[in-house]
Amino acid sequence: MKSTIVKLIVTAAVIVTSLSSCEKVIDLELNKSEPVIVVYGEINDQTENQYVRISRTYSFTEPNKFNEVTGARVIVTSQAGSVINYSEITPGVYQSSKFRGRTGVQYTLDVTVDGKKYSAVSTMPEKVFLDSLNFRDVSFFGNNSTYLIANFLDPLGIQNQYRYVLSIKSKVVEDLVSEDRFNDGNVVANTIYYKLNDLERGDAIELDLQCIDRNVYKYYYAFGQNLGEGGPPVAPANPPSNISNGALGIFSVHTSSKRIAKVM
Amino acid sequence: MRSFLLVALILFSFTCSYGQNRFTISGTVSDEASGETLIGATVKLDGQVVTGITTNSYGFYSINIPSGTYKISVSFIGYKTLIQSIKIDKSGKFNFSLVGDNELTEVVISSTKGDENVSNPQMGLQKVNVREISNVPVLLGERDVLKTLQLLPGIKSAGEGNSGFYVRGGSTDQNLILLDEAPVYNASHLLGFFSTFNSDAIKDLSVYKGGMPAQYGGRLSSVLDIRMNEGNRKNYEMEGGIGLISSRLKIEGPLVKDKGSFMISARRTYLDAFLALSPDSAINGNTLFFYDLNAKANYQLDDKNTFYLSGYFGRDKLGISKSFGFNWGNSTLTMRWNHLYGDRLFSNTSLIYSNYNYVIQNNNDVNNFEVNSSIRDFNIKQDYEFSISNINNLKFGVNAIHHTISPGKLTSRGNSSVNQITNENRQGLELAGYISDEWAISDKFNMVTGLRLSSFSLLGPGTFKTYDLDGIATDTLLYGKGKVIQTYLYLEPRFSLSYQLGSIGSLKAAYTRNIQNIHLMSNSTTTSPTDLYILNSNNVKPEIADQVAGGYFRNFFDNTYEFSVELYYKWLQNQIEYRTGTDLRGNSNVEADLLYGKGRAYGIEFFLKKRFGRFNGWIGYTLSKTERQFDQLNGASWFYAKQDRTHDLSLVGIFKASTRWSFSSVFVYNTGNAVTYPSGKYQINGRTAFYYTEKNGYRTPAYHRLDFAATLEGKPGKKLQSSWSFGVYNVYNRQNAFAINFKDDPDDATKTQVVRTTLFGIIPSVTWNFKF
Repeated sequence: MKSTIVKLIVTAAVIVTSLSSCEKVIDLELNKSEPVIVVYGEINDQTENQYVRISRTYSFTEPNKFNEVTGARVIVTSQAGSVINYSEITPGVYQSSKFRGRTGVQYTLDVTVDGKKYSAVSTMPEKVFLDSLNFRDVSFFGNNSTYLIANFLDPLGIQNQYRYVLSIKSKVVEDLVSEDRFNDGNVVANTIYYKLNDLERGDAIELDLQCIDRNVYKYYYAFGQNLGEGGPPVAPANPPSNISNGALGIFSVHTSSKRIAKVM
Repeated sequence: MRSFLLVALILFSFTCSYGQNRFTISGTVSDEASGETLIGATVKLDGQVVTGITTNSYGFYSINIPSGTYKISVSFIGYKTLIQSIKIDKSGKFNFSLVGDNELTEVVISSTKGDENVSNPQMGLQKVNVREISNVPVLLGERDVLKTLQLLPGIKSAGEGNSGFYVRGGSTDQNLILLDEAPVYNASHLLGFFSTFNSDAIKDLSVYKGGMPAQYGGRLSSVLDIRMNEGNRKNYEMEGGIGLISSRLKIEGPLVKDKGSFMISARRTYLDAFLALSPDSAINGNTLFFYDLNAKANYQLDDKNTFYLSGYFGRDKLGISKSFGFNWGNSTLTMRWNHLYGDRLFSNTSLIYSNYNYVIQNNNDVNNFEVNSSIRDFNIKQDYEFSISNINNLKFGVNAIHHTISPGKLTSRGNSSVNQITNENRQGLELAGYISDEWAISDKFNMVTGLRLSSFSLLGPGTFKTYDLDGIATDTLLYGKGKVIQTYLYLEPRFSLSYQLGSIGSLKAAYTRNIQNIHLMSNSTTTSPTDLYILNSNNVKPEIADQVAGGYFRNFFDNTYEFSVELYYKWLQNQIEYRTGTDLRGNSNVEADLLYGKGRAYGIEFFLKKRFGRFNGWIGYTLSKTERQFDQLNGASWFYAKQDRTHDLSLVGIFKASTRWSFSSVFVYNTGNAVTYPSGKYQINGRTAFYYTEKNGYRTPAYHRLDFAATLEGKPGKKLQSSWSFGVYNVYNRQNAFAINFKDDPDDATKTQVVRTTLFGIIPSVTWNFKF
């Protein structure tokens, strides 16, 4: 909201002075850094193949890509002691056999790359179902925008963290988190601030509501802060990862409740 | 309190015993035309002994001298010096009125008398003459003392669109901003585009960058002491201005002629008036403005007693149609009583109230709620000034401040998925006592020795958690009302020395320790009205700064040119940073997310000013470094603080072309901010993420800007005096970086781009001012 306020004031100042604050793409000389391992692993509560993606950081000037790390050893161990082995199906993408994570169970991920081991733990929280989706029109300085609203019931008396993964035509367009600090135990209607203006009839909008553990929430919250989400810009830093040994990324064991809305 | 009176009594008897044939003259210095007292006017006696003193914040002076005949000269910038011969054979009252000098040529920033900057042992002090700052160009033509201050060496702007400022490597919350002694917690309007200080209402402004006198305490980096106008004691006057985005009006006059006066000054911006011109209901339904009200009254009961009442009330309001409202503001109230015991002991008693709060209202079909947050102080001060002799002046006093912070109250109304939540209030008590002595040891040596004893106690009721190094609560304790959770006690020595080199130069040195018990929580790169203050606690320790400074001061060509160079080094302890991903919004466990470390700041400041003549102005240059070290940040290595600026240069020139036209120009240049940029990238769930290595290891591009202003005075002699001010901000349209962001190219998802946002290009302004 705060960034909106800044925008509002700047907009008003602009109207007054008939001049615009201006954005321009510039060139910057950035330092080179030693590549660092990035682990992105998820386990949900659906009986599916689960995936761990391993990559390395690369230079800012290179084209965006998945800079895969091949030949890693990937194992997930449940609290009860069962061991799940992952195999590399495409370079950098490691797949398990079909299984589902269980609420309240802690899972440990061990990734070994070039003899160096990276570990993480995550626990699946209690499930919350996404009840429904609806749309909302918001007018801001004469611009009308349509946003999606996620409706669900937050369980009373426990600390819940949610992640919202919004996909349009099967492409992830928004990835946000929230917690129930201010609305514990309530019927929640959370607006997903992603503009749905350029949609056409028949387009499918999918929202995946995930319940995530506290560390995963902190990771994504910091991730969003770097992008200027949820408040004024902060000095950016690497989000606090739950993976050991200096690796970047996150290992998240979460529930998943999806709903699809179609544009009519 | 009792011990202070005891000290005073001892000094009384001490001075009385050797004080045969010594008498005291005392009184006030004021403006002949308005009766307004003058702060910092010089009263100089030239006879068997030569002595001089400046008037205090209430225009009062007192000198104890041997009997004899003296040539007395009373001077103040912008006034004709008054010289007369007096024979002192008994103690008595001498009040002086000075006549304003219409050929006002003294420049804005001044050190009260010709060589005061050289002879006074005080270091790191700069004064701003508010009467003259209209000559310095500013954004949108709105005169602003805080913006003008930032053109002085050692005082740096926190960035465009930001009233916050950094003094000698301190952060924005380390400045003590006092308006008639009341602390102002948020000194900015419209998220920092303007300061809360309406120049019309301000009489005197002093800023201490170091060597703070012992009567000030509570912040590490600086003291900004702002005094409001008291109002014309002789005539009713009205003045004002109509500008592009704001208008202002001031009324002043006598309450009882020559006995008391009042002043009311108001200002309002009307950014939203322009919005209302839009035919689009989505635009014209928005509100966006701020207003300020300053009011002051005084009444002089008799020669010994004067009463003052002053207040400030300001508010920013912002609303997006009816669905969202946000307002914030300060209010302060100061009640003062000046009393003279005998003719040498001046006393001031102040009762001060200060409040800052904000309200956020959200009314839409999904969520209805209101957020309230405030900080409120009750403050009592007792100050004494005692003239021991013509070479020895003593100040002492006590102060108690009670703070109540309401971090946040969330109230849901009607249709809402939000719960009623109240974060616990926090209360604290600051107690302080001080004693300070200014002593002219010889013709060459001047010394100020001060000691301040300060304590802070965190008071119940409340639940207090103790956190370990990882921010995990290890202990939770419940305290009842008025119970003391933790007390901190510190001694703060203050010491300044000056050594006169002939009559035109001096060497000075100072050591200062400052303690800070209240801390602003802000992990963003800009200031925000919702930034929250917290008190010391069982987790948060008082911030400590030790500063040593040395300087060379010299005037040239009969005090026409003033030059100084000051060196400083500062050690800072218990500085605060935040864990990555800290969420400060409504966070009742904010202390779990804090990290503590140390800092160091050092630099050299050059200042050259031409004070008189048709062309005057100054050059200020600072070379400095500010670093911090935290065990849990940046691999425990030192990193540049965000307030670090290697080079900082300001040039100000004012040219009086004719009796009606004057021109001025400002040029500023500073090294870019220390910021964190990515040194690599990777992907998370298909999104581009950035890899950061060293904290604050990069710099934004250097900031520079040139401004022009021209003032056309109306024809003199008319009853209605008016003037036009024209200004151009950022003349050569420099695209200074407000923010640098990294994101995927919207046209080519395989590429990442660097986007620079600029806030202000070239901006013209015009204001019409009037007075009658």
